[in-house]
Amino acid sequence: MKSAWPLFLAWKQLFPSQRKVSFFSLLAIIGVALGVNVMIVVVAFMQGFQQKFRTDIIDSQGHARAVPLHRQLDWRESVETIKGKSQVSKVTPYLQGHLLVQNRDYNAVPFSMGIEPTDGNGVLPINEFLKNGHIVIQGYDSKDLTPVPTTQTLEDDVVFITQQVANRLGVRPSTILQIYDLNKSENNSISKGDITVVRLDPFVKSGEWVIEFSNDQNFTLRNALGTIERHASLVSGPPDLGWGYPKFDIKEGDNPFASGDIYKFQVFRSSILEVYSPSMIENAKSDEMAPPREVRVGGIFEVPWQGFHADALFGTRRFMEDMRGEVDVCDGFFIKFKSEFFEDERRLGQLCTKLEDDLDGDWSVMPWFVENAWFFDLLKFEEYLMVLIMIPIGLVAAFAIAIALMTTVLRKIREIGLLVAMGGSRFAVGTIFCFQGFIIGSMGALLGCALALLFIRYRDSLMNFIVTRIAGEEGQAGVTQFYDFYSLDVPYPWESEQSLSTFLTFILFAILVSTVAGLLPAWRAARMNPAEALRSE
Amino acid sequence: MSNNDRNIVLQAEGLCKSFSVVGEKLKVLEEIDLKLKKSSSLSIRGDSGCGKTTLLNLLARLEPADSGLLHWGAKIINAQDKPCSKEANWRAKYIGVVYQSYYLIPELTVLENVMMSVRLSKLSLTNYKERALQLLEEMGVGNKCQQIPTKLSGGERQRVAIARALVNNPVVILADEPTGNLDERTGGEVMDLLLNTCSKEGTSLILVTHNPNYARATEQSSFLKDGRLIYE
Repeated sequence: MKSAWPLFLAWKQLFPSQRKVSFFSLLAIIGVALGVNVMIVVVAFMQGFQQKFRTDIIDSQGHARAVPLHRQLDWRESVETIKGKSQVSKVTPYLQGHLLVQNRDYNAVPFSMGIEPTDGNGVLPINEFLKNGHIVIQGYDSKDLTPVPTTQTLEDDVVFITQQVANRLGVRPSTILQIYDLNKSENNSISKGDITVVRLDPFVKSGEWVIEFSNDQNFTLRNALGTIERHASLVSGPPDLGWGYPKFDIKEGDNPFASGDIYKFQVFRSSILEVYSPSMIENAKSDEMAPPREVRVGGIFEVPWQGFHADALFGTRRFMEDMRGEVDVCDGFFIKFKSEFFEDERRLGQLCTKLEDDLDGDWSVMPWFVENAWFFDLLKFEEYLMVLIMIPIGLVAAFAIAIALMTTVLRKIREIGLLVAMGGSRFAVGTIFCFQGFIIGSMGALLGCALALLFIRYRDSLMNFIVTRIAGEEGQAGVTQFYDFYSLDVPYPWESEQSLSTFLTFILFAILVSTVAGLLPAWRAARMNPAEALRSE
Repeated sequence: MSNNDRNIVLQAEGLCKSFSVVGEKLKVLEEIDLKLKKSSSLSIRGDSGCGKTTLLNLLARLEPADSGLLHWGAKIINAQDKPCSKEANWRAKYIGVVYQSYYLIPELTVLENVMMSVRLSKLSLTNYKERALQLLEEMGVGNKCQQIPTKLSGGERQRVAIARALVNNPVVILADEPTGNLDERTGGEVMDLLLNTCSKEGTSLILVTHNPNYARATEQSSFLKDGRLIYE
């Protein structure tokens, strides 16, 4: 067996025989590892943010948006054309504009959008938005049983608004609370079953409701006024009193209900908003005064994409038509493609161009990444800026390695002379120091990757630790409102090509920079006169 | 080439070397002629600074001479040429070196230090490991194979250096005051080992020394004075 002696000697100088590790090697490797770790983690998190924004944007506007290039009278035909495409999964036509919304003396002018309730949840996951915006009232003597609203409750006289609009106007959707009698704690302490509200529409009236058990199976549902009273059993379930009344559901628990068990519920009707449209102002100019449109608040939503309008309102398409005083119009379509087509941006772009051709050039079809290019350019710029800032960190590590190796060269002048005297070429002697840089770079890069993987794996715990130390337990919500680390999808290198490429890039960068750092000491060693080196003191 | 010439493993013809000192040329070696036969030994004595080490460096081709020719066996080298990497490969197999300051590599064990000669000669580590262990045994440091050089005494270190010089069966050993750092008794032991082993292995030896007793132990003795080699 023959061996490459410069590599052997490089290894031994870093990890000498009879010693576990040299202090210099340990410091150098840790230095490179920390640099690689920081670079990978920052870029991985930036990519995680990009991925999150990408998902949020697609959720809030679909994969593409078609807008008419001129007034479309026959937009329904275009919808059918798009729906007919095998690559298209869902299409949602919309109307948009700004409306003035008022509650008593409070006003807001939200960006308003009208969609078909039947397919409104198709492209935009409005039910998810409503889940995000749902607020549960915390009471010491009550429990909020309000179900999360869905697009099923969206009617022409119902709107969904964002949290900001709701706060500005001081409005809320219908709410139902189970009221505890604090003097009778047995109902709360013993699990007799679970009473939930499965439907609470926006037209439900304020009032008190009671469920009273006559035995372990039968109960009576009545309102406090006594105008409604229905007998039912656990087998048949609570009766559905129809639209405008809460619909309950009762599930048995570990202990049976007993005669005299009473459960009280307080319903608060949804707020009513007065809505004015620009067309009303036009009418007012011609002395045609029309009363404002009254609508109920059906739910409060929150769109995860922060680029979406903070003040926004969803209503039906017909509601928007009424407010604009127009009939059968459409401002555009949100389009969602089947999963095999939207993953590849290039392919998605081609599909959109094809759709434009198929629509005879009457529509402009913009993929999400074109419409939001400015934002992703900004993120990319930030990512490059981060890398640019971090590259000097790598170079500092390289300089540190170069200085340490240069010191080694000066310390080992006579050994260098001896190696040449023993038959080593000057070039081979020089490569010892390049190999040392290479070994430090490789080991540091691998350790840095391991650290980065640990960081990614335990990022939530780590962020939780940091945020708690900075802002306390209460500050968590405030911080995560701006930096939502917890929902970030930061993929491991075996899960995503982009992540793999990030890891490989920084591994190569570290190895290259460390090896190059060994060049100067190597050159210094190689040009040494062996006879003079042997004479040196 | 006569039989006599074929027996010559190292020959220098008209070697000259001078150094520039404060702008002036200082002649160190002048017209040095030297012939070393196979399995023979030659000692070189001389005052400090007379050029003994320089002569060894020229013979090993660690630096160029001003003029002259060198014969490494059949290989003829113009001594004033700059040493090249091909010569380095040749040197690794042809010449072994022993220095006054041992120059063992502190990061390697004793055995690894000896095996460095094998690595540099690009020989098989497996084949030469046995020989390295045997040489260390002969040198009396067989039980120190896995120790690092800093744990050894001066005499032990020099024995390891001799084993390192001999392990890859070089034709010539150039020893530059190998006992210079040792006390008289240890120096004597080390010198006996060096001379006996070279004689046993048939390796030619050029020994630079100040000690006339050691010089007398070699087959040929010479004295370097005023840049010229005078044979005794």
